[in-house]
Amino acid sequence: MSTQPGTPDVEQPSIEDRLYTVKYEDPGESHLDVELAGICEEKCVTQDCVSVCPANVWRMEGDDGVPTIAYENCLECGSCRWACAHGNVVWEYPENGSGVSYKFG
Amino acid sequence: MSTDAQSGENGGVEPEPKESEGPPMPQPTSETPNYDGEFDAIVVGAGLAGSAAALTMAEEGLDVIMLERGNAPGTKNVFGGIMFTPRIRELTDFDDAPKERFVAEKTFSMLSEEGDATEVSMQPAAWKEEPHNDSWMVLRGDFDEWFAEQAVEAGATLLTETTVTDLVREDGTIAGVETDRPDGRLHAPTVVLAEGANSLVSEGAGLAKPQERKDIAVSAKEVRKYDREKIEDRFHLTDEEGAAMHYFGDGAVGDAVGGGFIYTNKRTLAIGVVYSIEDAVHDDRTPDDVLDDFKSHPAVAPLVKGGRMVEYSAHAIPEGGPDAMPDLVHDGAVITGDAAGLVLNNGLHLEGTNMAVESGYHAGKAVADAVAAGRTDAAALADYEDDLSESWVMDNLNHYGWFLDAAAEDKEFLFDDLPRAIADAETDYFRMNDEPKTRHTKSARKRLVGAMGGYLGAAKKAWKYRKMFI
Repeated sequence: MSTQPGTPDVEQPSIEDRLYTVKYEDPGESHLDVELAGICEEKCVTQDCVSVCPANVWRMEGDDGVPTIAYENCLECGSCRWACAHGNVVWEYPENGSGVSYKFG
Repeated sequence: MSTDAQSGENGGVEPEPKESEGPPMPQPTSETPNYDGEFDAIVVGAGLAGSAAALTMAEEGLDVIMLERGNAPGTKNVFGGIMFTPRIRELTDFDDAPKERFVAEKTFSMLSEEGDATEVSMQPAAWKEEPHNDSWMVLRGDFDEWFAEQAVEAGATLLTETTVTDLVREDGTIAGVETDRPDGRLHAPTVVLAEGANSLVSEGAGLAKPQERKDIAVSAKEVRKYDREKIEDRFHLTDEEGAAMHYFGDGAVGDAVGGGFIYTNKRTLAIGVVYSIEDAVHDDRTPDDVLDDFKSHPAVAPLVKGGRMVEYSAHAIPEGGPDAMPDLVHDGAVITGDAAGLVLNNGLHLEGTNMAVESGYHAGKAVADAVAAGRTDAAALADYEDDLSESWVMDNLNHYGWFLDAAAEDKEFLFDDLPRAIADAETDYFRMNDEPKTRHTKSARKRLVGAMGGYLGAAKKAWKYRKMFI
């Protein structure tokens, strides 16, 4: 959107600054995965997991079409699970209540 | 509370469990009974539906355990911002509940991408009187913990940091749960599934099908802290009054079915966007980008500028309506709240908290009756589904079940053409120049009728959306 004259600036925090506000306990291993890397490589052209993620967990960093997973960013919304048109997202809850803890909710 | 059971054990000679494994299921000691088989009902999740169910069952005399994966109830929960409280007020001493502000004003604004805004504000005097139309802004961290405490005070047991990973079946009937604690299997004749929108247990056990992405919305939200006075000045509030601001149109969430919101707490604002995952995957922007654009709209920025971000959160919302709901009753189990898809979004009514509590309450009643009768098969639990069907919950969901499909069909009209035409019509209608007002009016009318697809189109749309007003 083009900024209108007179519209005050609002803070547009980086995703890192946003995630920094959330209390997080690292489960030590990823609670997210792809079922079959081959589906990402050969069938997926849209990378819907990347488009939908509000926490920059899913990233296309390599050129093989398989997303890398920054699981420690995850806000546990589950959106990637529904977004993936190939049903290729493996999603488990982080163990024993680890992961995010919201204060305000 | 939750830690009582653990401290009974960890306070003794037992070594601290390894952190990576988490605390073990409390073992039988003089302080902690063996939990396996000791309960009439296991509640999966201590959110609104779970605590309502546990409280109801405990008051009916059942032995109930709530299993919550967060380190306290509420820590995994996110909502927009309004708790609708008719049933909670009946179930609890609601005056003691941790609340922020009541809804004294509701606004609905249509925003265009170009910066136009048209706002309707409602401030009925009745909302300022108790019980304030049962509409409160709360913080879920505080509120859910308090609500779970009410269940515990009524006799329910709460175990936190415990994730249910699967259901236990015996002879085809659900007979308990598996958890991620060592020796974490618990048997009980009934399981109340109140696990929330990301219902992995219900799906994993085959009680629910995965939702389609058109039926789920993604939400991203920022909580920002301001001086209390600044919030009250900015939103014209006094005392406990609060404002619930809703925004639609392509200036809110772009070309997507959804909207933006601002809710006023005492010292914080909840600022967020919610829109269909089907649209999110077709947007170049991720939800956090959409949130930034919403905050930057000329009608929104002055309300949210400054302050300090104290929390960012994201959540999914099941909005598929009655067609997307799973079967609610199974042999030995019932499904409640978000896990059951009990969310109403008809554009004007945005409700889920009330339906979560209502479903937990009806589920609790039905389970109590079934346990008392000594039978917990689906037929014995059927009262839950019947009671919910006869209540306002299913009445409302059925009445508006068509809405989101219609909105998706008319997306371009509703969220793009209409905000544009309304802003242009306003510009024409109130124009200051040397032309007569009759010409301004005619021009404004043409804008609106044109966007509607002529008078016939307007009549068709009025007919299509008639159920909003009958």
